[in-house]
Amino acid sequence: MLFSSITFIYYFLPITIFLYFVTPKKYRNIILLISSLIFYFYGERSPLLIIACILNYFFGLLIDKGKDNRKLFLSLGIILNLCLIGYYKYANFFLENFSKVLNIDMKYLSIILPLGISFFTFQNISYLIDVYRKEVKAQKNILQYATYITFFPQLIAGPIVRYKDVNEQLKNRKESFDNFAQGVKRFIIGLSKKVIIANTIGEFCNILGQAQEKTVLIYILQAIGYTLQIYFDFSGYSDMAIGMGLFFGFKFKENFNYPLIANSITDFWRRWHISLSSFFRDYVYIPLGGNRKGILRQILNILIVWCLTGFWHGANWNFILWGLYFFVFLIIEKLFLKKYLKNGIISHIYTLIVVIFSFVIFNIEKLSEIGIFFKNMLGFGNLKFINFETIYYLKNYVVIIILAIICSTPLIKNIVEKLSTHKRFKNIFCFIEVSGYICLLLICTSSLISNSFNPFIYFRF
Amino acid sequence: MKNKIITILFIIIIFGFGFMGIIFKDKEVSIFERRKLASFPIFNRDFTENLDAYLLDQFAFRNEFINFNSIINRKVLNKIDNKDVYVIEDNIYEKNYPLNKEKVLKFAEKTNYIISKCKEENRIYYSIIPDKAYFLDENKYLKLDYNQLYNLVNNNVNAKYIDITNDLNIEDYYRTDIHWKQENLQKVSKIIMENIDQKYKYENYKEKEYNNFYGASYSKAGLKIEPDKLKYLYSNGFENVEVKHLEYGYKKVYDEEKLEAVDSYDVFLSGPSSYIEITNNNLNDNSTLIIFRDSFASSIVPLFIPYYNNIILIDLRYIDFELVAEKIDLNNSDILFLYSTLIINNSDILKVRI
Repeated sequence: MLFSSITFIYYFLPITIFLYFVTPKKYRNIILLISSLIFYFYGERSPLLIIACILNYFFGLLIDKGKDNRKLFLSLGIILNLCLIGYYKYANFFLENFSKVLNIDMKYLSIILPLGISFFTFQNISYLIDVYRKEVKAQKNILQYATYITFFPQLIAGPIVRYKDVNEQLKNRKESFDNFAQGVKRFIIGLSKKVIIANTIGEFCNILGQAQEKTVLIYILQAIGYTLQIYFDFSGYSDMAIGMGLFFGFKFKENFNYPLIANSITDFWRRWHISLSSFFRDYVYIPLGGNRKGILRQILNILIVWCLTGFWHGANWNFILWGLYFFVFLIIEKLFLKKYLKNGIISHIYTLIVVIFSFVIFNIEKLSEIGIFFKNMLGFGNLKFINFETIYYLKNYVVIIILAIICSTPLIKNIVEKLSTHKRFKNIFCFIEVSGYICLLLICTSSLISNSFNPFIYFRF
Repeated sequence: MKNKIITILFIIIIFGFGFMGIIFKDKEVSIFERRKLASFPIFNRDFTENLDAYLLDQFAFRNEFINFNSIINRKVLNKIDNKDVYVIEDNIYEKNYPLNKEKVLKFAEKTNYIISKCKEENRIYYSIIPDKAYFLDENKYLKLDYNQLYNLVNNNVNAKYIDITNDLNIEDYYRTDIHWKQENLQKVSKIIMENIDQKYKYENYKEKEYNNFYGASYSKAGLKIEPDKLKYLYSNGFENVEVKHLEYGYKKVYDEEKLEAVDSYDVFLSGPSSYIEITNNNLNDNSTLIIFRDSFASSIVPLFIPYYNNIILIDLRYIDFELVAEKIDLNNSDILFLYSTLIINNSDILKVRI
């Protein structure tokens, strides 16, 4: 089920909220578990989620109870999770490449990627490692563990919530009007990012892709469009997840922090998909030795992390290239550019250009087409720079592009914060703010009813 | 306080609309969108997909939300076209873009294939009906290169071309529909008939009128726009005319029951039909006109009736040419290809196997 769907917002969500709050506290996790399973199996047939959940629950117990063989259970648990994701997500990729390298015909497997596999696998792995490290006790109650893994706000497209961060909240949390209201605001902001901005920019990119006569500006606009679309799509989903967590008293960590205002690629990755980069930092980079074993080893560790980051996004070479692309810039920054990249405008422009180019690689699956795209985008493709068609499309979407650019900075957030605490405007602004949220919800609803262009990009990972 | 208000309003909205969607009686058809709405699904493999469609279709105040969305897109987001539809002073234009050269050439190829099956003594003509976007200002709106489209057809179709573009303007089309108005077509029909060497026949038409015509473009615009007046020209001579459809049997020239149906334009020759034979019993000279046509022809063909004993209308969107070729006598007939630029630029739709 999609968050940005009428079924979810006007039927699933109110029924879940109602049942949750009329149920006595000690049974509320059961309501969350049942509703999460309905949410998941509404659009999914694979039982892998449940199987992985049960297996990891037992591995958690074995690691917790084990004495000399804790490491063995941890290794088995991690291998099992990697085998599952390896089979479902990467098997055909490996088969395809082996068959190309060895020049033999191999039959592809008929596999459908289970929804959210990349997210729930990483949550299971983080749980096992945290139990092994004794940062958290293994969950004894399988229903509680299942509630954590399947909790619908973060199940399909993250953020990657760690068990140690919500362990206490699973047992004991306080739902409140204030939390709920914060959740409502966050949910509506996320929904608006997705429905009003990401979907419209996605439509813009599609139209540009079908332009009768391509121009240099069309390629540039497409690249900018991809960046804005992915950012608003994914951060919108995270906002909705965080907001819905608040409905039920959960506080999830932030997943995005205005990444498009970063002043370096290092800074960008501190602000973009924070739960994924911190996962790789804590469970791959640091265990590999991090920066403690000399610069060459550090570079190797960073290389491994970025190959994995790219590969996590999809079983395709363009994603690996995307990861390596960031690896190159991160190393250049670490070795040479760090001292020059402060808060100046040049740093921001540099970061934006690198990021915009990166999302071209991210979006185009065929490696040969990436080169052609860059060539055309940079004006080496023997194309006109601009024509009437390009101007028309730009005019047609200019308001939403400007809106997207403004919303990718903290400008509106800062204005809202200032006005809501300003003595003179406080009351008027309170009315404007409430009306604004309700208007956004109604605009999103009208858009969902009118449009069918709606899939979340991060669902495919 | 603010938090309480936001929470309460949010709860009222998500519970309220969901609840209204359940208690309101399901609608079978949406006149506004001119389509059948989804009904509650039966339990099968596609249940969840069908349930989504059902809840979306039966959502409370659906039409108002569509209207609201269109206003937001046009007025707030300042979009020139919304879902490929321009609205200029309450006139709705559907964007016909870009030019698909391959399909235009395919159209010419299909037309020539049919022409190759006709006897040489036949008089064969074609005319191209410009769609509404033809009249848009090309400096403001995106529209296909109509000159190129006309040139491609004219350079490749082996028949005599009848140019009607100079005798049409945007006022000759409905505001809420893609089609042209019959009451404005007497001049065009005269030009076509004169080009086919038919002598002009005066006919004393009386206008009948229907005031509540919401055309096909109306639902696409999603805006509340005044309906069109649909006028149709009636002649006493039509009393002596038989209209025989392959699908529906005998009907009248004007099917007035269709005025209140989803598409009032179907009043002309009862709407979409693959094969129609019109016999004008006021004449008995065996003169025959075969028209390969799209829906635009439905409204102009009644004006051709006084000129011919028989008119055969063939809509190749609904019937394969090979099937129809067996039925028609391609000897001693006048043949007219009468297609709009919409079909020419999308000629895959024509069932001619070449």
